[in-house]
Amino acid sequence: MKSTVTGQKRNMTPALTKAVLVMVVLFGAALVFMGWRGMQEYNSSGFSSEAAYRAIYQLHGDVESAWSMKLEPQTAVLSEQDRALLDQTAYELLTAAWENQKKGSTEKLNAILAEEDAESRRELLHKLLYTTYLVSGPKVSTANKKEITAIPESERDDFRLSLLQAVMDEGAALPTAAEKLAGRLSGQERQAALIQAWFVSNDAADGKTTEQVNTLKKSVRNKETQLEAFRMIAQGEVSWGWQLIVSNSRTAILTGIVIALDALLLTILMMGDRTWIFDFKWILILLIVDFLLLFQLMPLIFMIVKAFFPNSSFSLETFRRLYTYPLNLDALKNTLIAATATMFFGTVLAFPLAWLVGRTNLYGRKFFRGLFVLTYMVPPYVGAMAWLRLLNPNVGTINQWIRMLFGLSNAPGPLNIYSLPGMIWVLTSFYYPYAFITISRAMEKMDPSLEEASRISGASPLKTVFTVTLPMMLPSLISGALLVFVAAASCYGIPSIIGSPGRVHTVTTRIVEYVALGQQGMNDATGMAVFLMSLAVIILFLSDVVLAKRQYITVSGKSVQPAIVDLRRWRVPLTVLVTLFAVIVIVIPFAVILATSFKIDVGKPVFRAENFTLTNWKTVFGRVETLNSFRNSLIFAAVAATIGIVVACTMSYLLQRTQIRGRKIPDFLITLGSGTPSVVIALGLIMTMKGNFGINIYNTAYIMIIAYMIKYMMMGMRTVVSAMSQIHVSLEECSQVSGASWLRTMLRITGPLVFPSIAAGWFLIFIPSFYELSMTTLLYSSTTKTIGFQLYEYWTFTSQPMSCAMAFGILLMVVFLNYVLNRLTRGEFSI
Amino acid sequence: MATVTLNHISKSFGENTVLKDFNETFRDGEFITLLGPSGCGKTTMLRIIAGFEKPTGGELYIDDRLVSGGKTFVPPEKRGIGMVFQSYAVWPHMNVFDNVAYPLTIKKTARTEIQSSVERVLGIVHLSQYAGRFPNQLSGGQQQRVALARALVAAPKLLLLDEPLSNLDAKLRESMRFEIKEIQRELGITVVYVTHDQTEAMAMSDRIFLINRGVVQQCGTPQEIYNSPANQFVADFLGKVDFFKGEARDGQIVFPEMNNQKIPYNGPRTGKVEVAIRPENLFFTENGMLTGTLETQYYLGDVDDCRVRVGDRLVRVIVSGYEFKNLKNGQQISIGIRDFMVFEDNGLLEEMLQIQT
Repeated sequence: MKSTVTGQKRNMTPALTKAVLVMVVLFGAALVFMGWRGMQEYNSSGFSSEAAYRAIYQLHGDVESAWSMKLEPQTAVLSEQDRALLDQTAYELLTAAWENQKKGSTEKLNAILAEEDAESRRELLHKLLYTTYLVSGPKVSTANKKEITAIPESERDDFRLSLLQAVMDEGAALPTAAEKLAGRLSGQERQAALIQAWFVSNDAADGKTTEQVNTLKKSVRNKETQLEAFRMIAQGEVSWGWQLIVSNSRTAILTGIVIALDALLLTILMMGDRTWIFDFKWILILLIVDFLLLFQLMPLIFMIVKAFFPNSSFSLETFRRLYTYPLNLDALKNTLIAATATMFFGTVLAFPLAWLVGRTNLYGRKFFRGLFVLTYMVPPYVGAMAWLRLLNPNVGTINQWIRMLFGLSNAPGPLNIYSLPGMIWVLTSFYYPYAFITISRAMEKMDPSLEEASRISGASPLKTVFTVTLPMMLPSLISGALLVFVAAASCYGIPSIIGSPGRVHTVTTRIVEYVALGQQGMNDATGMAVFLMSLAVIILFLSDVVLAKRQYITVSGKSVQPAIVDLRRWRVPLTVLVTLFAVIVIVIPFAVILATSFKIDVGKPVFRAENFTLTNWKTVFGRVETLNSFRNSLIFAAVAATIGIVVACTMSYLLQRTQIRGRKIPDFLITLGSGTPSVVIALGLIMTMKGNFGINIYNTAYIMIIAYMIKYMMMGMRTVVSAMSQIHVSLEECSQVSGASWLRTMLRITGPLVFPSIAAGWFLIFIPSFYELSMTTLLYSSTTKTIGFQLYEYWTFTSQPMSCAMAFGILLMVVFLNYVLNRLTRGEFSI
Repeated sequence: MATVTLNHISKSFGENTVLKDFNETFRDGEFITLLGPSGCGKTTMLRIIAGFEKPTGGELYIDDRLVSGGKTFVPPEKRGIGMVFQSYAVWPHMNVFDNVAYPLTIKKTARTEIQSSVERVLGIVHLSQYAGRFPNQLSGGQQQRVALARALVAAPKLLLLDEPLSNLDAKLRESMRFEIKEIQRELGITVVYVTHDQTEAMAMSDRIFLINRGVVQQCGTPQEIYNSPANQFVADFLGKVDFFKGEARDGQIVFPEMNNQKIPYNGPRTGKVEVAIRPENLFFTENGMLTGTLETQYYLGDVDDCRVRVGDRLVRVIVSGYEFKNLKNGQQISIGIRDFMVFEDNGLLEEMLQIQT
């Protein structure tokens, strides 16, 4: 009797399920429709929040007091969505003002300048002005004028010229009115006016003319007009529900789309499954897919659409700009050259190192292996800072040594880090571990008797390397090389610290600069981002194809210790060579960071008593900004790692322990996310997460945490998945047969066995999030600065010794975290 | 064609001694098997002969040439040895022909000669029609033959085989066993064969070196080792055996564990002894030497594997299935003994039988 009831119920379910699915899709569609109507209603009220905010700003006269008041009385009547838009506009204005005020402090500037000799003063000033321009737009305030006056009269024109040049390079047409106006002015004032005029026209939304901007200003200066605008919104005499949709129309549309898509996806999955029985696991999949859909796929798709439809109609203008503007073309070329060269040198270095460390009797090979892998976890920008200190054409330590050694004059050089070769050198020294690790792992997995068979056949060790080891390693070698290529092409830290001052632009630095420019810059940034993303996706796809096609699976015998090649008379010279390499690439950079952190005068050696100080350490770690940034980094990275590892564990369970349909979809999306260049992820989030699609997390900690998760979640997932795959399902089945529940089995059997990997996975998300810079640069706000960005700011605007103190602090922390990871997982894992 | 002389060879990895004072000579054209449980040092011995490991002490001669010892060390590629690895080690990026031709290519042999030599060895291992295939298109057994052909192509004087059959299935293993033996006989080369499989060792070897814990326990022909084991370990490792504690006196051995039943013994030992009896050397008869109760029997077709309780001990008796009579569990039965071995009871049996890993 009972069985027939269940049988009937099962027969009923498909029809019911289908009905529910259709209803859910309809509900989603209804939400979209209502949201769309709401948006129309909202737009027809003629309210422009941005304009309104500017108006409020004008009314109050100065931005900071406007901000501090939060304009509560006026904005209280607004919806959440509007207020967020207002906040954002205000924030942009405030940032610009703040940056100017901060950097404009002549006293501070003079203090810095006093430390430098004439040569470096010039360089420093130039950098200051240029970065001012990059961060706050080409706005030369009175404060900046003061800075310019600090430059000797004879050099001043050079600066103006280079600044103007930089502005012109952006391809902005100067409004004729502004030009006329500026024409009457002369010298310094004229320069300032030109730039100011450009800024104003550029900053106004959607290419409004100067007249329009002026009208706008005039109109909103009238307090009555402005309040009228607010009233119009507040007084909409409609039902509560409709009001809710009107003021949150975009959120409503987005929710509707997501619900409808979920139901559709579920329908497709169920159609494939045929039984039409609802499985709870689908909810897990849908939750993860929704998250990635909103924060990863939507931004990427929007960016691509935006690139092809820059002004809501199809146009390839965005891409034309990519190569018609010399600066852009330069950036593209530099990126391709730098990435190709880094890939080449990185791989050429990595293979012999991996072989020497893995297969020969090189002295200290285990130590070297650990050391080379260690480089992998050093934030690249720290390395860039170190090499800047070493190879600065004027004050670089190595340059000074070379000049002293060969008795050269005090002219700059001979080596110049601010160049493409300089950048390639630093990129190589930081990305070769990617290839080294890939090749080393493959070499460990390779059956050593393949090489021994060659030896016994009469081939010398060297001959064996070329006829057996290298061909066998080729797939891993290629995939390692491509990994280096993508990493180098997507890197922002190194090009921004080394390339930017040397005017060696790359795609990533251009994207960040364009974003700083605002509206017009956004289009160019999008084009560049789409280019970079395509590059990464194509390369990663190629790498997959190579690996899939030529992955040699060898029957593994018993785990024999591979025959160690006796280097004989080459043993000492090669060990010396590898040591030298390690010293140059690892020891010297870290040493120089440490040394610089104790210096008073960066140009002089640290060993002299009068040049040694602890002040840098005290100052930097005494600063509230520093401590805040550490706190932020710790919190953001911990949250990202914790949520990330929960997703990773869920995915591992779905992938390894279930046959549920659709489990590969989130897996694919997570992999795609980690392959997307950081700058692209961040740009996509900026473009879609400021309320225009119903989600506003711009300038919040959330946007950063989400970005970290998208980029680094895969590292955690892969770790847990591979651990799960090694635990045979029979261990769990045995526990269940013994009478334990599913939960008890997870807690008592699977959990303890996988725990080291879960801990490792957590750290693998935590550590890179902790010192992240590329995404942070685009996503930070004044309250969400992280250590990576704070350090970058100190380096660019404050003092190098202080930054070095902080950099070394970060380095110590990362090493410590790696140590914790190593202990926690009993030595099984470290980065 | 080649002799291998091991002169006080020893090998240790740090604290861990793997080989102790290995002192043997493998004669020209002999099929030598190094047999022993895993971890006994037999593979290390083979790798020392090949030149993949340096012995910690002692000298190694191939023919009269010192290849390892003192300051001399000839690297593997200069020893002129053929070797087959447990994992085949067939290079996946080369086809069968290139794999086999490799040793000749290294020697810069003339093209035509390579062609004919490779064809010849491929013929020997029955792979002539597979020359153009890649290893991933071959079965395990075929890959095995490629590895063998490659080891033979340069006509080495000495062929080393490291558990070459352990990755093959049972049927194939048996046929390959005879093929390898056949090839060795045909070419007359010296072969050093490493295995942990006693059947393999028995079937192929001229001489077996049974190794445990880095020490040669016994060396001799399969018959010698099986029939007159030097110690309990050898007796236990080769074939099935049960040990019984007894007391030898007055031309008898008395077994206290078995109700003081006794068997006649005229050997040299007296006092406490350990008697090793192979179950196939026991049989049921009307008036045997031991009597007990038949407890269980497992009919396996070719044989009948029985357990008989004699006093406190269960005695395993394997009788041919042909002789199988309808015996009933619980019935009294008398056991005859064809042969047994007597060792001195040094109280170390447990320890000796323990396999070092």
